[in-house]
Amino acid sequence: METRINSPQTFQRFHILHRILHMVIIFNFTFLAISGFLLHFSGFGWARFLIALMGGAGAAGWLHRFCAVFLYFGILVHVFWLIYYKMVLKQNFCGPDSILPGKKDVKDLFQNLRYVFNKGTPPLFDRFSYLQKLDYWGELLGMQSMGITGLILCFPEFFAGIIPGFFINIAGYFHFYEAVLAVMYIGVVHMSDTHLAPDVFPMEKAIFTGKIEKQRFMEDHPGEWKRQQMINDQKLL
Amino acid sequence: MQTGTIKIKIKLQPGWICMLVTTGCFLLALLWFSHARAGTDTASFSTWFVDMSQYADAAHASLKCEECHGSMTDREPAMGIGLRKNHPDSKSVDFLKTQTKRNFDYQVCQKCHKIAYSRFVKGEHAKAAFKEKTIGKPSEVGFAPTCGDCHSAHYSKSHLTRVQTGKMMTQTCGACHLEQKQSFLANYHGKAAVNLEYDKAAFCSDCHGAHTMLSLKDKDVVLNACRRCHSDATPEFASIIIHDSTKNLDVKSDTKKSSLKWVHLMRALSLFFVIAVLVFFYMHTGLLMLRKLHEKLRRHK
Repeated sequence: METRINSPQTFQRFHILHRILHMVIIFNFTFLAISGFLLHFSGFGWARFLIALMGGAGAAGWLHRFCAVFLYFGILVHVFWLIYYKMVLKQNFCGPDSILPGKKDVKDLFQNLRYVFNKGTPPLFDRFSYLQKLDYWGELLGMQSMGITGLILCFPEFFAGIIPGFFINIAGYFHFYEAVLAVMYIGVVHMSDTHLAPDVFPMEKAIFTGKIEKQRFMEDHPGEWKRQQMINDQKLL
Repeated sequence: MQTGTIKIKIKLQPGWICMLVTTGCFLLALLWFSHARAGTDTASFSTWFVDMSQYADAAHASLKCEECHGSMTDREPAMGIGLRKNHPDSKSVDFLKTQTKRNFDYQVCQKCHKIAYSRFVKGEHAKAAFKEKTIGKPSEVGFAPTCGDCHSAHYSKSHLTRVQTGKMMTQTCGACHLEQKQSFLANYHGKAAVNLEYDKAAFCSDCHGAHTMLSLKDKDVVLNACRRCHSDATPEFASIIIHDSTKNLDVKSDTKKSSLKWVHLMRALSLFFVIAVLVFFYMHTGLLMLRKLHEKLRRHK
């Protein structure tokens, strides 16, 4: 009973489906990045060694395609959930809890920059901060363009019948540079914003457990917290 | 009360030791592997002196010297083909300095390698040799290659795998066509074929032909080359640029020139975009982290 008393009050933040999808993304993104960059750096011995561990170039290529399809399957599940959310649950996409970017995000960005230079208070985020929104949209839209360029590279014979041949060269460069961007953004910006922030260090567990502590809820998402309290007050009345 | 002290106990458990040893072995294997694979085989060529121990392992080991070179006394051309040259004057010191490859008459090779020779005669290298003969001096790249410039008659081994031949080929062709070699290795084909030793990927001769050495400027010829692997290739497929990162690519056609320009422009744009986004967000994150750390430390005072 002692642990129960000591454990802080938590609130549900993420649905089980979203937690599973996040794990799917972590798993596939990692293997996609590894197998893809090993091909690019195959001039080095260590890359050849790791490719040999995967079972050679053919197997690594297969792994890359498998993970790409798996990841895209996750995105499709998410899109179906969005349709379900709108059609069956009759929920609204807009509003302060939405992940859609709005005017407040631009304001928050500038306020955050002022806060960084000690010229003001930190912005009061709603359910999602602008960086979280950017992570989400970067992933969702980035995967579309990675998917398109990847498909072009996977089926060049088919796509050469639709688009000019040198577009396939361009698709190759886009695929590579966007992979660099994705890995260096997720690996540094996303990781340090979520896990390296001094208050949550060493790890933010909300996306894995789905629960957020009261303290973190109040500090990181004050807008949502305030609205929750108002709803609760109305219920009590 | 011991409120401010932190106790850290590290016990060396068997599990930890096992993990450390495994990691060490993994890293050692990695080092060994990268070291062992770093060297690529290059074809070795004989000078006027032939190393008979190497010759004994080579593909031509069963041939006697006379079968290619003719006998010392015989004035007839070797195997009835080509011009019989006199043995160089052994008293003169200078003949050892002359190039063996330019002295030997490689027409002898066609006695056994008929198909390869007939293909070579039709090919680009033979055309270059003809040009060289009419002008009277070699081009900037060097002498137009004959058989002996790519193949070592004395040391070449037989029964090599596709990948072994291909890797050696990349070195041999790359000795003269250095930029093409580099752009090939920057391409998916070269990376899979040479770096990852994937035998389904294309080496030089898979597109350019083994002895014809086509320069692949004509669209129909290119399409034929592509179709050896990509059987569904359409005519537009042939306008994919394989050696697109070659610095001084000698492009004759205007469409290829303009598409190369687009490819390089798009590459530069995407690189710029990546750098711009990363610089902004790295600075944003770095500064924000510093600020948050500052706040946290101040609160603890």
